[in-house]
Amino acid sequence: MTQALLELATVSKTFSRGGFLSRERVEAVVDVSFRLDGDRAEIFSIIGESGSGKSTIARMILALQAPTAGHVRFRGRDLAELRAEDERTAFMAAVQPVFQNPFEAFNPLKRMDRYLFMTCRRFTGLHDEAEIHAAADAALQQVGLTLAEIRGRYPHELSGGQLQRVAIARALASNPSLLVADEPVSMVDASLRASIVALFRKLCDELGLSIVYITHDLATAYSISDRIIIMQKGRMVESGDARTVLADPKHPYSRKLKESVLEPLAPGETPMFAR
Amino acid sequence: MSAVPNTARLTTGRDTGPVVSARDLRAWYRLSMFGVVREVKAVDGVSFEIRSDEIYGLAGESSSGKSTLVKTIAGAIRPPLEIVGGEIAFNFMAGTDGLHRASGEVAGQVRWRHLSYVMQGSMSVLNPVRRVRASFADFAFRHMGLDRAGFEAAVVSHLARVNLEASVLDAYPHELSGGMRQRVTIALATICRPNFVIADEPTTALDVVVQKEVLGMFRGIQREMGSSVLFVTHDMGVHAHLTDRLGIMYAGRLVEEARTRDLFARPRHPYTRHLIESLPRIGDDKLRRGLEGSPPSLADPPDGCRFHPRCSFATERCRREVPAMTPVGLDHRVACFERDRVEASQ
Ligand SMILES: Nc1ncnc2c1ncn2[C@@H]1O[C@H](COP(=O)(O)OP(=O)(O)OP(=O)(O)O)[C@@H](O)[C@H]1O
Ligand SMILES: Nc1ncnc2c1ncn2[C@@H]1O[C@H](COP(=O)(O)OP(=O)(O)OP(=O)(O)O)[C@@H](O)[C@H]1O
Ligand SMILES: [Mg+2]
Ligand SMILES: [Mg+2]
Repeated sequence: MTQALLELATVSKTFSRGGFLSRERVEAVVDVSFRLDGDRAEIFSIIGESGSGKSTIARMILALQAPTAGHVRFRGRDLAELRAEDERTAFMAAVQPVFQNPFEAFNPLKRMDRYLFMTCRRFTGLHDEAEIHAAADAALQQVGLTLAEIRGRYPHELSGGQLQRVAIARALASNPSLLVADEPVSMVDASLRASIVALFRKLCDELGLSIVYITHDLATAYSISDRIIIMQKGRMVESGDARTVLADPKHPYSRKLKESVLEPLAPGETPMFAR
Repeated sequence: MSAVPNTARLTTGRDTGPVVSARDLRAWYRLSMFGVVREVKAVDGVSFEIRSDEIYGLAGESSSGKSTLVKTIAGAIRPPLEIVGGEIAFNFMAGTDGLHRASGEVAGQVRWRHLSYVMQGSMSVLNPVRRVRASFADFAFRHMGLDRAGFEAAVVSHLARVNLEASVLDAYPHELSGGMRQRVTIALATICRPNFVIADEPTTALDVVVQKEVLGMFRGIQREMGSSVLFVTHDMGVHAHLTDRLGIMYAGRLVEEARTRDLFARPRHPYTRHLIESLPRIGDDKLRRGLEGSPPSLADPPDGCRFHPRCSFATERCRREVPAMTPVGLDHRVACFERDRVEASQ
């Protein structure tokens, strides 16, 4: 077996939530294991219930939170052992995040273009100002924006969809080998969303970028993913080839999830929440 | 006590007219950057009304001005956003200047009770260093007229409607998942049963099972109170099942509006049609194609119809003249010179 790009081995995360008198134990992630191949890039989707531990998994893959039990390994290296500064920097260049809610993820007092410039300067080895600007502009153009449009703007000065696209451009600017994208297109219209997920597929196929794609959108998960897992209450309840799982889900929760997708009405159908 | 300005008095009793009507509303961001002044015309001549007793949906391209329109109506105007022209009238307030000119006192009375606003992506109503319970106490307690125990019970049962357990009240906002925080803000905005709720992309972090419960809650309280909701989302499936009427925005303007069912069945604007056709479905093997060309710059929008550079129906006239919203049927308006050709071609 070749070395895995990413491996989660029986990973669990327990939080204690609330105050001192009302402390509650939350089993956010329970015994989750999966593995992404090192020699073949893929899009690995995580779907499931709100509060089922998806973002917690993302934070553990990004080494932002440590598992309570189990191991997360990137290219064979346990993330718990990443200590040396240069090792951490190399890891951060290779594994890039797009966080769930861009309105919360960015510092409101920091200009968005600075985030891009910083990523380019830190992880691409570019030093020349003009080259950095060109790299930032190229990254933005992939998601339908330009540097001119976002130059000098603060996070709250961009629309939801613009902000999400800058976040994606920033993450791609360091040419990572793994992208951890937590709801990256939830605020983008269907048309743009189709172009962005098509870009993900292309980067995976042509540049070998592996992607962990966390989403509530079953349609894009179906159209771009290779494999999928479905989460409920911290546990993986179903996993497998994305199209097989989504075409014919087996677990009761997965079935319920698929049945709950709202689609435009068929002729004669009444809306579910009619007046 | 100082007199409340004449333009912003709360009216007494319930008016059954539109909860809000906007006329030729223009709201621009005026930016001065590198010494040059730029005007981003995010809302540029929008007229529409939201009736009492309906859920009005808003959809449109990313950055077409939906959140700006909603902010303008909610009175959440902060520089560099300016209302450059137009009128906004509410049925619970006298005057046509909207909320942003109302005195602090009137605005305070209106918020939460008459109008509440769930901002896109922002959990800013939740105080990060206080438990969720404290946010409910701060915003809702004095409007509900209940004692402590009754209030707690009301909050718990309202949270259950968005599928949240009572234990979230003890949590700090950062200890909740994205979707749990989103539901807390929705619960806060709706618990006082205001007669007008504005919700900007309120379900982006929810799985489809929970989303269904939340949409059911929106319809439920709307029906119980005969109130109105302005619901912004990119999810056309949500519009199909929830909203009564639907407005479509493109580049700062409303380009089509109709009863939701009619809009899906007979879209007359080429952009609306594209939006409906680009809906992904599970089981599609091919990815749907995005719209060709890029969204117009709102600082320097194209002349004529703003959609013309990307429109396959565009003619010479579309490049020169601005199409006005024109009635084409019961409750159906569209801003397109080529609407008949668009319709005939489906
Ligand atoms: N820092 C924390 N402290 C305490 N509890 C936490 C913390 N972070 C997350 N949790 C809890 O862990 C559980 C899982 O949260 P997580 O954010 O991983 O869910 P999610 O699947 O991403 O949900 P969503 O789809 O709503 O974003 C939730 O019950 C949440 O309250
Ligand atoms: N504070 C601001 N200063 C300058 N420009 C702004 C500001 N806020 C928004 N804009 C610009 O106004 C335009 C409309 O933004 P708005 O947020 O209203 O779009 P939207 O339709 O809600 O988009 P989305 O669906 O992506 O949320 C965008 O071009 C955006 O960059
Ligand atoms: Mg999450
Ligand atoms: Mg918006």
